[in-house]
Amino acid sequence: MHIPDGYLSTAVWTGMDALAAPAVIVIARQAQRRFDDARAPLLGVMGAFVFAAQMINFPAGVGTSAHLLGGALLAITLGAPAATVVMSAIIAIQALVFQDGGVLVMGANILNMAVVGVWAGYLPFRFAGATRWRSAAIFSGGALSVLVSAVCAMAELRLSGLPPKTLAVSALVFLISAPVEGAITLAVVKALDAIQPGFVRRPEPGRRWHSSVLAIGLTAVFLGAVGVLFSSAAPDGIEKLGLVSGMAGRVKVLPGTPFSGYEASFFTSPWMRKAAAGLAGLALIYGIGLAIGRVAAARKRSV
Amino acid sequence: MHHVVLERWSRQSSPMHRGDPRVKVLNLLVFLVVLSTAHRDLVQIAVALGGLLCCAIVWSRLPLMGALGRAAVVLPFSLAFAGVCWIAGDPTRGVHLAVKSYLSALAVLLVVSTTPLPALLRGLESMGAPRFLLMVAQFLYRYLFVISEEAQHMAKAAQSRGATAAGMMGRSARFRAAAGALAVLFARSYGRAAEIHRAMLARGFQGHLETLAALHFRKADLALAIAGMLGPVALRFAVERFC
Repeated sequence: MHIPDGYLSTAVWTGMDALAAPAVIVIARQAQRRFDDARAPLLGVMGAFVFAAQMINFPAGVGTSAHLLGGALLAITLGAPAATVVMSAIIAIQALVFQDGGVLVMGANILNMAVVGVWAGYLPFRFAGATRWRSAAIFSGGALSVLVSAVCAMAELRLSGLPPKTLAVSALVFLISAPVEGAITLAVVKALDAIQPGFVRRPEPGRRWHSSVLAIGLTAVFLGAVGVLFSSAAPDGIEKLGLVSGMAGRVKVLPGTPFSGYEASFFTSPWMRKAAAGLAGLALIYGIGLAIGRVAAARKRSV
Repeated sequence: MHHVVLERWSRQSSPMHRGDPRVKVLNLLVFLVVLSTAHRDLVQIAVALGGLLCCAIVWSRLPLMGALGRAAVVLPFSLAFAGVCWIAGDPTRGVHLAVKSYLSALAVLLVVSTTPLPALLRGLESMGAPRFLLMVAQFLYRYLFVISEEAQHMAKAAQSRGATAAGMMGRSARFRAAAGALAVLFARSYGRAAEIHRAMLARGFQGHLETLAALHFRKADLALAIAGMLGPVALRFAVERFC
């Protein structure tokens, strides 16, 4: 599910980076409140565990084997914010050291797997983890984490112009691996319960509306991604709609502002414009991220 | 193993190795953006940029063939995808994806194999990336191979007890056995993390890794920055102009 560099169009990867950077910064702060700086070794070692866990194979189907992906398991054992931090670190190390997943598209990968995937895997446990539906919640958490991140990844690829047929193959793979991940997560949690009951925390009695807002947000992301996939299956439905209603004509008039369509208009050659707009986008993301970090740090000091 | 080679490469000496990690990260970003926005004349641009990368690899005194081979880890996935694109009737796109992902991986490999990971992460930190996340990444990298080795030992032990004899045991039993192994690995990792944490506290760890060498931006870095940023841009400009 790691998207390599070169697969996403400039508009998509800059957009995803712009979403991922503030999300990770805010969530990292949240995790830091629970695990202060001095607990960073714990999260690092648990990240190493997820890497190592991929060496243990589970029988899945005839002659094939699967391994743990880990988002939901980390969310259930460490809590969702910490799991996001660990998964982001894993994705960064995979991109840098193992050339698994790209650098420019790291925002997209982090958003798919470490943010949306982890929180989708955590939500069922958050709502039903303390009830008699606990097992079902853990299973569906594992399955959802894979399914939701896969759907997001495919929507991003589709938005970048990859033909729907190429995505159908990957969709099939993910449809199979989602329940497998659910089953593995559930089996590991049960085994952990047997070894030492304290490992798997009971869902924290946080503010319920907080989780509800989150659930609605995630559902919106999921439905949006599904929408992109479906609308693309019907040949260019949205574009036709745009043409019919005359939108396409109007859209062409708009690009006069410097960054519209991610193309800075002060360069002449089209690729220069795109490249410059990409770099300007990165700079902008960088600035916003720094500002959020500063504000969060200032707030932490004043508390 | 992969990391051992990278580690050895990144601790060699060359003008590229001595460069400021921040400059290398910025150069990498420029290179990736120039490559990822290419559509027309992609093959010529890819040859030019690939040539530039090869020169940089040789200049960094890294084994050229070794680096080219190592970057090929992205190819199985990309070629499979390219095959599907070809079947779907869009072979050009498949070629583009494979070329772009390969050259991007090669560029990342060049930076990572000329910069030790701690130095790279320190550079990212001084550029404003969240410190907590980078620290987690650093610990992850440090213990990755310790824990992996433990997992390999466990897998070997299970095999030598006959875990692979499919006929001997039902599938659900094997599934449960694997889950039990993972749970034990989890518990061991957790325990080890607690030990590491206590040991670090005992040595005065206060939540920040102190480093002895500070980052310095020197004149050579300025040259590296200019060459690294203008190089890909100029090459692409030249290709689009003259091809």
